Amino acid sequence: MLAWRNVCRYARRSLITISAVALGVISLIFLWGFNDGVHNTMMRNLQEVIVGSIQIHARGFFRKPALQETLEEVPFLLELLDRMHVHKVAPRLRAFALAAGRETSEGLVVLGIDPQRERRVTRLQEKLDRGRYLEQTDRASCILGQTTARNLGVDVGDEIVLLTEDRYHVLAAEKFRVVGIIASGEMGIDRGLAIIPLRFMQAWLDMGRQISGLVLQLPPERLEPVTAALRQRLDQRFEVLRWYDMYPMMKQWVELENGFYYIFLSIVLVIVAAGIANTVLMSMLDRIHEFGVMMALGCGRLRLAGMVVLESMLLGLAGMVAGCLAGLALVAWFGRHGIDLSAQMDTVSRFYVDPVVHTDIDTDHLLITLGAVLLAAVLAAIWPAVRVARLQPVEAMRHV
Amino acid sequence: MALIHAHRLCKTYPSGSTRVVALDDVSFDVEQGDFVVLAGRSGSGKTTLLNMLGALDRPDSGALRVAGMDLLSMGEAERASFRLWHIGFVFQAYNLIRVLTARENVAYVLQLQGKPSRQRLQTADAWLAEVGLEGMGDRRPDQMSGGQQQRVAVARALAMSPSLVLADEPTANLDTHTGGELIRLMRRINERNGTTFVIASHDPAVIDAARTLIVMRDGRIEQTACRD
Repeated sequence: MLAWRNVCRYARRSLITISAVALGVISLIFLWGFNDGVHNTMMRNLQEVIVGSIQIHARGFFRKPALQETLEEVPFLLELLDRMHVHKVAPRLRAFALAAGRETSEGLVVLGIDPQRERRVTRLQEKLDRGRYLEQTDRASCILGQTTARNLGVDVGDEIVLLTEDRYHVLAAEKFRVVGIIASGEMGIDRGLAIIPLRFMQAWLDMGRQISGLVLQLPPERLEPVTAALRQRLDQRFEVLRWYDMYPMMKQWVELENGFYYIFLSIVLVIVAAGIANTVLMSMLDRIHEFGVMMALGCGRLRLAGMVVLESMLLGLAGMVAGCLAGLALVAWFGRHGIDLSAQMDTVSRFYVDPVVHTDIDTDHLLITLGAVLLAAVLAAIWPAVRVARLQPVEAMRHV
Repeated sequence: MALIHAHRLCKTYPSGSTRVVALDDVSFDVEQGDFVVLAGRSGSGKTTLLNMLGALDRPDSGALRVAGMDLLSMGEAERASFRLWHIGFVFQAYNLIRVLTARENVAYVLQLQGKPSRQRLQTADAWLAEVGLEGMGDRRPDQMSGGQQQRVAVARALAMSPSLVLADEPTANLDTHTGGELIRLMRRINERNGTTFVIASHDPAVIDAARTLIVMRDGRIEQTACRD
């Protein structure tokens, strides 16, 4: 109570300090919200557009993909995933081919998908620029990335020829009609990819019911437990890869950017701590006589020092609560309405960043920020508290 | 056994390149329940002696026992604890905590003693009533007159049931009438409760109220007189 009254005693000074702390917290929370919003979108887009959260292949397939490296015991896997309540699962078959268009030819990856199941796992269909998505009844139809289509000189309705080898290394060629063009902004999709119906691909390449792998889509909180459970239950014939095992650069990029934000956080905290320290020290110097009286009345040095620390914490806490509420409100508002950066997004769109950033702060970043502000408030009070603890009551009471 | 036993207390303070003698071979005893006034001009050593009795300051040499405890062998934490449980202070400038109400000021020492909240407030109200401030517990120091503030200070000093109340020029900032009332209040409490008072003052009204008068001059006891 006494500590709070002391904070209120110098109301204007305290309010200025609390406002400064709140402003610091607001800026930190908003910047974390922006940062996390961008990162979460990037990671979500990477998973939802093409990669999925987890992929299951035959061991070694990811590093050295070959048509003959197929996934065994698919029914067993599907049943296992069903028991684990993983329902967003899609099979894929993958091969390399030479595509010949009207003007030229180009090497690309042919991805066989089950259109219906794929829709539950990825959002490829949302990236269609023109034409349509694959349908279950489609046979020799394909979707191309816009760069590949441009390179081949084809558009929706045109035909291309894919030349590859089948399961037994026999050359296989087939004519496909282009039904859709994808413009994802991601180079790996827009260039060098042809998507065709899985059933047709299996028949064309004499694969029977064989597939290269399963793609799973999971909410973020289930990624690690499901991976761990699958790795525990599946033997050495399988490889279970999370999205960032396959594309580690994305995660490393996020960690690097977070590292920069921690540096920024530290700078803001030093400023916050300096502001609080200034207020607490001035308040302490104004009250030296009173501290002397309190010591004369029997108040111990530790208790007095504790009161100074508590006053600092109250300043920090008040600023933190105000800043947290305002910061979260800001993050929520921009989370709903977004920040339109389409004018600046020409380059970064390649990294799965949406042109409209929806802010979204991670709980651990919020807690780290708030904890750090409180810690800064405690650290700011150490020097004034030490000075109070060193006061001699008689000398302090002589102080006017 | 005497409540206070002071034996050959000496204290000097540095003042520029020289040292000023504040106490010079001071010895005296005070019995439990006494009402002692330390008289003397400014600079005679009254406040220095009071500070030593209240474990706020240490002599350079000598021996000092208060309430059976050797103050010179105590560490800082023990001295703070000793003040908390044995000594009530009344200061010349009242020295109430500005942000607390009268009731909270009185209850503050009880809080330091770890008394429960309800007991603290009841005791505080009782002592405020005792010093004639019934119903004024919610006032802040800046809403009270000097005399009222000093009464709150007396209530604060007495609320923790001290062995000894030390008052340093308690009437110096009060008019004659208010000062007289305050001294009569202290004397009444002394007579009724048996609380020992040692008051440093050169106010004739205070000196008149003394049961034991110790007159100091230049850091030495010049004269000791007992009224009873």
